[in-house]
Amino acid sequence: MSAENELSNWELIKNGVLKENTIFKLALSLCPAIAVTTKLKDGFFMGLAVVFVQVMVNLTVSAMRKFIHPRIRLPIFMLIISGWVTVVNLLMDALVPDVYKNVGLYIQLIVAFASILARAEMFASKNKIVPSMFDGIGMGLGFLVALIFVSMFREALGNGTIFAGTSFAMSIGAKPLLIMVLPAGGFFAVGLLMALFNWLYTRYGTKSHAG
Amino acid sequence: MTGKDILKITLNLVVVYVVGGLILAIVHANTSPIRFANKVAAEKAALNSMMPEAEDTPLLGVWKIHDKEAKYYAATKDGKTIGYIVQSFGKGYSSYINTLIAVGRDFKVIKVKILDQKETPGLGDVIEEVDFTNRLIGKDAEHLKALKTDTTEYVQAVTGATISSRAVTDDAVRNGVDFIRNKMKEGGPGNVRRK
Repeated sequence: MSAENELSNWELIKNGVLKENTIFKLALSLCPAIAVTTKLKDGFFMGLAVVFVQVMVNLTVSAMRKFIHPRIRLPIFMLIISGWVTVVNLLMDALVPDVYKNVGLYIQLIVAFASILARAEMFASKNKIVPSMFDGIGMGLGFLVALIFVSMFREALGNGTIFAGTSFAMSIGAKPLLIMVLPAGGFFAVGLLMALFNWLYTRYGTKSHAG
Repeated sequence: MTGKDILKITLNLVVVYVVGGLILAIVHANTSPIRFANKVAAEKAALNSMMPEAEDTPLLGVWKIHDKEAKYYAATKDGKTIGYIVQSFGKGYSSYINTLIAVGRDFKVIKVKILDQKETPGLGDVIEEVDFTNRLIGKDAEHLKALKTDTTEYVQAVTGATISSRAVTDDAVRNGVDFIRNKMKEGGPGNVRRK
């Protein structure tokens, strides 16, 4: 059993959100962090879908960990991931059609997220079901939080709105920064927020022992 | 690799495929009626919003633009045709823009609605907003032209979304209006046939 197993459930969640934050710390799955973060609403639902997939994949892999032959574990993980992604895809299409119209394309891309396969391989395949579930929640939430910050930042600067509401930038007479909604702006936003996150993390985060 | 390994690997794959397939089948079976109902309701609501005063919107037929099939409808009130609703496509920057156009008997645009597009998020997709689609109202086919300059006679393109603006104005809407005008001149106005 790995050392990670000794962490409590709460620490597992904290680990996913802070210490091993997918976007800001591990710099994994940056593609969606740039592609779907021009609007807060899109980023939010994308993050929710990832939380669901990550938790379900971790649960499934953990439940099957003794049954899966080590030689074909990666193809099996991929099958499990694509299965759950298809489920999310179908559910979102049926339940939130207007959001699906914007993020549908990227939902299918969750299959290729490095972070999801990485957690299945590094954590869920070595740990019991309950810690795996909390690890999934933590990693998923970390991704969700990162997407919320990036998309809030980009929507506020690029469109001058928050949650597609009225433009506050217009009311103070400022012009939105067009570059922030372009892919280049995505890199700027992720880079700046990553720097801020890490600065805050090293300054305050490491003082408490759990991080 | 022993025979036991091969057996186990086979069993692994079979179980994952069968269980996964079952789950997907159940989810699909349960969600597909909802998705279908959503689609029908969305189409009806879209047609209704195009011409709220119309009582009925019978389908007149299907025409082709950019090799895609688009529908066109009559809008009737008290048994009389008060206008037409035409679906049309425009070739945009990164997608075909699916639009719905309402025209009156004079073939001037009453309303334009973008049903579906995959233009650059946050940039080209502003053509979806009423700020832009309102600029097309009242124009006939001759004045459906997107220009970069300030204009109210023609249609002013959105800054940063010129290609998408043109795709809607010059391509989708103008062709749609042209089509329905020619079609109705052939068949005679008000000649509503149910199909």
